[in-house]
Amino acid sequence: MYNFNNSAKQLFIINIQGSKIEGVILRDEVNNKLKDIGEADILVGIPSFNNADTIAHVVRAVQAGIAKYFPDMKAILINSDGGSSDNTHEIVEKTIIEDFQPLLIDQRQNIFSKIVTPYHGIPGKGSAFRTIFQIARELNIKACAVVDSDLRSITPEWIDLLIRPVLQREFDFVSPYYLRHKYDGTITNSIIYPVTRALYGKRIRQPIGGDFGFSGRLAEYYLSKDVWESDVARFGIDIWMTTTAVANDFKVCQSFLGAKIHAAKDPSSDLSAMLTQVCSSLFMLMEEYSSKWKEVTKTDPVPLFGFQFSVGLEPVNVNVERMISMFDLGIRELSELLKEILSIESMKELIEISSSEPFNMPDDLWARIIYDYAISFHNKIMSVEHILKTLTPLYLGKVASLVTDMAASSANEVEERLEALCQAFEKQKSYLIERWE
Amino acid sequence: MGSVFIEPFKKFFGQIAAFFPTLLIGLIIVALGLAAAWLLRKAVTKVSLFLNIDSISDRIGVMQLLQKSGLKDPMSKLIGQLVYWVVLLSFIIIGLNALKIPALEDLLTEFLLYVPNIIMACVILVVGYLLGNFLGRAALIASVNAGIALSGLISKFVKFTVFIIAVTMALELLGIGEDTVLIAFAIVFGGVVLALALAFGLGGRDAAKGYIDKMLKEKKEPDDIEHI
Repeated sequence: MYNFNNSAKQLFIINIQGSKIEGVILRDEVNNKLKDIGEADILVGIPSFNNADTIAHVVRAVQAGIAKYFPDMKAILINSDGGSSDNTHEIVEKTIIEDFQPLLIDQRQNIFSKIVTPYHGIPGKGSAFRTIFQIARELNIKACAVVDSDLRSITPEWIDLLIRPVLQREFDFVSPYYLRHKYDGTITNSIIYPVTRALYGKRIRQPIGGDFGFSGRLAEYYLSKDVWESDVARFGIDIWMTTTAVANDFKVCQSFLGAKIHAAKDPSSDLSAMLTQVCSSLFMLMEEYSSKWKEVTKTDPVPLFGFQFSVGLEPVNVNVERMISMFDLGIRELSELLKEILSIESMKELIEISSSEPFNMPDDLWARIIYDYAISFHNKIMSVEHILKTLTPLYLGKVASLVTDMAASSANEVEERLEALCQAFEKQKSYLIERWE
Repeated sequence: MGSVFIEPFKKFFGQIAAFFPTLLIGLIIVALGLAAAWLLRKAVTKVSLFLNIDSISDRIGVMQLLQKSGLKDPMSKLIGQLVYWVVLLSFIIIGLNALKIPALEDLLTEFLLYVPNIIMACVILVVGYLLGNFLGRAALIASVNAGIALSGLISKFVKFTVFIIAVTMALELLGIGEDTVLIAFAIVFGGVVLALALAFGLGGRDAAKGYIDKMLKEKKEPDDIEHI
């Protein structure tokens, strides 16, 4: 379908259902359609898979954001879909804001295009992003943003906050800064944020936030990397984008986006796979940038844009008892494997913890555990998937410990608690460097 | 009269004299084999060391298997020894063939035809052991992450099932009690499954009830954390 609408908004939709991307080269069919568009200034990418319930809101927010904040620029929305069977792509095609008056937006928008295309390669968010990067390169885009398709809290302002630092302040990478419930984002809080900060020296609070802004230059750099057969093609994409930007000295900032609220899903259904994919990317990047992170001795704040405010967040149910029982089971049944991965001292402390009351996993021990995993991954002491999957029960133990610690804490106290955790990772960095070789 | 006694001796010494050059050729072949085996052992050991075979075999678990069976030498040395004996054995067989003794020739032919089966059986056993360990470990980790209390038992079951299948295949290849081994395996395997079913059904009624109650209780206490 190729539909050119000559209305004041000049909306046209290109549906490239049959397109195929091999390697980093788009098929002629896709290229031809992109040639019709020529060049564009702004690109917003939305990866999707069966998000029919939520994607219309995201598409409207993107269109309104572009119309309100970048009316003079040529913009394009890319929906990179993983083969949805719930008519997600039809919804994206049909969703249009016809009347901007209720949004107090003047009808003065330039050209807004929309491409709905399936991605190819390993099923996952990373493969969807690869298609988006490719199209950004083809259209010589100045600034890009990617946003999740299951967001309920996205507003037009998100687009401004993710794009403007790139266009007007020459930043290459804009990381999101959200308000989240103190029990949410636990992989970020307990592993990714402390490790990224300690290793690369940048205090990026949500390195795997998932909604990012970046320059066309950086999109091209991402595309030049040969990582699309690894876990980067799945959940590992977020940490890979952030780390690649930081480790290669691209100019990085954060934008305050407010609350992040997703569509409801079963959060524990694929925890182990999610944790494995994210940590696999994290450790793979440690291999690639070992000479860089070894030199980093201090951490620096990263500029934060946007007007900060606080919001009331929905309560989150936590079953700490179940987490602790999973931890105990892991220590009991996986001890032979854990002895190969962890240092003798760490293993001894873990055994002591599993029988202690009240349950508490100290930050120093947790930092050493994560570094031991990085070292085991580096040395490939066994199948890397097996190494990473044994982390799940230990991670649940640390989450249980943090949840117990933060039960009565306010948002500020939670940040202070996480600051202490980050400092433990920074303190233990010498432990990592000593054992890395 | 004297010739009656002397003639057999003459014939005997004549045969020895006729056999001597053949024996000498056989001995020379074996001596050459010794030299070739020694040289190849040195060369193969050095190449194995260069390719870092010792740490690779340690990592994939082959060394653990060999150590359990009493072999303490590093893998590079073992490969060298294997090459040494294969080469030497080949030369001994060639040497024995050179003697042209019909009974020995038949025996050697049968042995040579059986050697590939022995090698294949050994390969199946090693692969079965490694695969059993790998799958057992994968089952252990997956079941722990799924919160199954009997993870250790599941892991052992997977590991031994794979290994028993490998042993059955190896014995079948060697032609040792082909049908007997297969039937025995089927009986043992079926028996284990039946025993487990009975154990869970009769002995584990309370445990099953407790497990279901726990599951239902957990369902009532949802966990809404978004990990990522």
